[in-house]
Amino acid sequence: MHTAQHMLRTGRRGSLHEFAMAYADLRASVPKLGLAWSLASHDVISRYRGSILGPFWITLSMAFMVLGIGFLYSELQHISLQETMPFVALGIVFWGMISLVIIEGCETFVHASGMLSQTSLPMFTFVWRTLLRNLVTLLHHLIIIVAVLIWFGYWRTMNLPLAIAGLALTLLNVSWISLAVAISSARFRDIPQIVTSVMQFSMFMTPVFWKPDFHSPMMKLVLVYNPFFHMLDSIRGPLLGAQPALQTYVVLIVMALIGWAVTFSLFALTRRRIVHYL
Amino acid sequence: MKAPPVSITVKDLTLRFPVYGVDAKSLKKHLARVAIGGRLSSAHHGSAEVTAISGLSMTLKAGDRLGLIGHNGSGKTTLLRALSGAYEPDEGQIEVKGRIAPLLDLSLGIDPSATGLENIRLRGRIAGLTTKEIDAKMDEIGKFTGLGPFLAMPLKTYSAGMAARLAFAVATAVDADVLLMDEWIAVGDADFQKIAHQRLLSLVERAGILVLASHDMDLIRLYCNKVMRMEGGVASPVTSIKDLDQLLAQA
Repeated sequence: MHTAQHMLRTGRRGSLHEFAMAYADLRASVPKLGLAWSLASHDVISRYRGSILGPFWITLSMAFMVLGIGFLYSELQHISLQETMPFVALGIVFWGMISLVIIEGCETFVHASGMLSQTSLPMFTFVWRTLLRNLVTLLHHLIIIVAVLIWFGYWRTMNLPLAIAGLALTLLNVSWISLAVAISSARFRDIPQIVTSVMQFSMFMTPVFWKPDFHSPMMKLVLVYNPFFHMLDSIRGPLLGAQPALQTYVVLIVMALIGWAVTFSLFALTRRRIVHYL
Repeated sequence: MKAPPVSITVKDLTLRFPVYGVDAKSLKKHLARVAIGGRLSSAHHGSAEVTAISGLSMTLKAGDRLGLIGHNGSGKTTLLRALSGAYEPDEGQIEVKGRIAPLLDLSLGIDPSATGLENIRLRGRIAGLTTKEIDAKMDEIGKFTGLGPFLAMPLKTYSAGMAARLAFAVATAVDADVLLMDEWIAVGDADFQKIAHQRLLSLVERAGILVLASHDMDLIRLYCNKVMRMEGGVASPVTSIKDLDQLLAQA
């Protein structure tokens, strides 16, 4: 159901028209952000319905993971807890957000098939729903971050505005990846499996737990060509009082521009078909 | 703000559904097809197209209550979905002026584990109501369902009839100019059917245009003043309800 005052759907073709319609969808999704928010918060509420801690269960299990891995790596790599613990904590929390936006992106359109096949709601509404849902979860995990930053004293040296800028750049990137997997998962049901394994693999290839070491050339290669490293570093670095490399920002901005251009084109070209994929 | 005049204009509408067979959804098959140069015919991969509606034209204005009749698979629901804006025409054009309320699926946006009240809110939000508007209507909707204290209980504890009452109450709480309905009007027990009927009538009064797909000719006669018959995706001209028998005789 939808309360648009005027709806026009035509069989006109041509790339220009498809792009105009895709842009119209994107623009129409802005007034629907409130709906996306309602759906997202309902998702979170219904997922943890009946449990006492709700989404904080995930926070709690993350906190234990942070403690365990923090101590372990501090011992294994002979680095002080002061250094390892905040590094691991921020790594796990933000990696969780990045990977879940992408993994849950697979279900963005598939789960919305009911609404997509009988309303004129903009398709981007559901992309925002996935994004907002994970931001709500991230807000719960902020407890861990705040606790660690205060406990280890990093709040004195952190560069919060730069970290927020990093988060914004990261969101700009994960949102197009999420849209891309949403479209392709609707069409090919193998994609969710592939995405899950790619994200699992990436978790180990990205310095979520382990400290990056730029001295080894092999390692440098792995880091420089790993977009997730740049995403994570742009948020975590400033919070731990380190300045991310200029390269990180270049990579993130260029990737966002190219990624959105390509994904938006994909969306424009498949938009009229997506509802039939479902 | 006074809304512009309500109307539906459909011109030469053709809708084709690509049928993505279960096979075609597998990436392996798709890649294999690309790898061997796409020489396997579509028979193997089942991405054939089905024409659901072909060359349909019609114009409806405020006060028109159109009954859609036709066999299963004749394209009635597809037309309703196209009018709701969900399907993009392959050819032709659909223009709808006025707020559209597609009441095609009562269970749309219903979460069984959420309470009755939460479901009213959620469904209302999907229908385009703001939180404030829902709050304003909440009492009225709650009262209409007749569920009383059960509204605070999860929907999964409801009987099928109770769930239908709730869904019906929320779905019909919208202010719409164009009402699209698939056959689902008879819900609940006899008492509820009576008040449901009244509510539908008043909704139809308020709405400028009603398009109702049904197999029940009595229902069509009750609600509609115009009728259109669909067969294999091809529609008859829109005629007056008086010619319904004639239209049926042609079948």
